Amino acid sequence: MFTKENKLEKIKDAETIIGASIKVKGNFQGQGNIIIEGALEGSIKTNANLYIGESARVTANVESKDAAINGEVRGSIKTRGYLALGGTAKIYGDVQYGELSIEKGAIINGQLLMVTDDHRHTKKIDDESAEVEKQ
Amino acid sequence: MHVYIYDEYLNKAKHNRALNRLEIRLTDLGLNGKIIRLGGIKNIKGTIQNEIKLGAKTIIAVGNNQTVNKIIGSIIDTEIYGDFQKKTLLGLIPIGDDNSIASSFGIKNIDEACNILLARRVEKIDLGMIGKYYFLNQATIQSAGTTLEIDDYSLEIEDKGEVRIINLLSDQRETIKSNPHDGKLDILIRTRRRDESIITVNKLKITNAVEKLIVDGVFEIETPVEIGIMRDKVNVIVGKDRSFE
Repeated sequence: MFTKENKLEKIKDAETIIGASIKVKGNFQGQGNIIIEGALEGSIKTNANLYIGESARVTANVESKDAAINGEVRGSIKTRGYLALGGTAKIYGDVQYGELSIEKGAIINGQLLMVTDDHRHTKKIDDESAEVEKQ
Repeated sequence: MHVYIYDEYLNKAKHNRALNRLEIRLTDLGLNGKIIRLGGIKNIKGTIQNEIKLGAKTIIAVGNNQTVNKIIGSIIDTEIYGDFQKKTLLGLIPIGDDNSIASSFGIKNIDEACNILLARRVEKIDLGMIGKYYFLNQATIQSAGTTLEIDDYSLEIEDKGEVRIINLLSDQRETIKSNPHDGKLDILIRTRRRDESIITVNKLKITNAVEKLIVDGVFEIETPVEIGIMRDKVNVIVGKDRSFE
C-alpha cells in the first residue's frame, strides 16, 4: 500500500471499512487497517494503516502508523511512519510524519513536522529530565 | 443416545417422503434414536431439557433455522446448559426452506446431513445474543434510519440498504470473512449506492424507529436492542464444506 513506487494504493486487507453512506461520530479506534470513504467526526486512531478516500470528510484528530489521504481532514494528523497526501487531499490542521510525499494539487493549511527517531529520543530524554526534576 | 427433534411444520403430508427417506438412511447408518415431534408438545423447553438430563449424547434439529433456534433457546440460560455444553452435541438435518444455518455448517441435504452425523466432526461455535434471544447466523435490519452505537462512537446510515450483524456466514460467496470462533460480531452494511462498510465489534446497540431487526431470517425484534456474543457456546457437528475455518 505505502511503497514509494505506488504511494496511494488502497489498502487491500482492511479490517474496517467505513463506506461513503456512513457517518461516524465519536472516538473511533482500531487495531487493524482502516479505510474511510464516508464522514467521521471525533477522533480516529489505529496501530496499523489508514486510508482516507477522495469522498471522505473527516473532522477529527487522526493517528496511525502509515496513512494515505485523498479526502478532506480537519484536525491534526500524526503518522508515525509514511504519510502520502494525494492530489485531492485537503488538510486543515498540523501534520506530523516519519516520511512524507505530497502529490501536486494537495492543499495543506497547517504546520508540517517531521518526527524522526532523534526527535523521539530527545522527547524521551526531556520527559525523563522532567520526572527527575519533579522528584 | 441420539435424540431427533422434528419441528412442528414437518407434520404436513408434503414432508412425509423426506422423513421416510431420512429414517431409512439413519437406520442404514446405525444412527437411529429417539424421535420427538414438537407438533404435539406444549412444553418444548421441558421436553428438550429432560432429554439432556436423561443423557442424550446428540440432539439433532430436524427442520430449519427456527428448529435450531428453538432448541438453543430451550437450553441456554438454564441449569441444564452446563451438562449440554460438556456432554451433548448439536446436529442438524435440513428439510424445507430457511436453512441458512445448516448451509453455514456445510449441510445441504438429508443424505449429506446423515453422513456428517456419522463422521462427527465437531466445532465450538459462538452464539449471538439479543436480549433473551440467540442467533447462530445473523441479524439483519434495513439500513435507512439505522443508528449503531459501538464502544465510544456511533454510526448513522441514511441510505437505503441492509445492515447485517454476522456471527456465522451462510453464503460462502461473500467477500467478508466471518469467524464464528473469534468471540466477535462482524457488521456488514451494504447500501444502494453499492458501497460497503465492514466493522468488527464485541457488542453494539442498534436503533431504528421504523424497521424491525430480523433474527436468523426467522423472527422480528423491535429496536433499540443490544447485541452481544458468547464465545464457544455450542458444540455443533459440521460438514467439510462449512463456511468457516
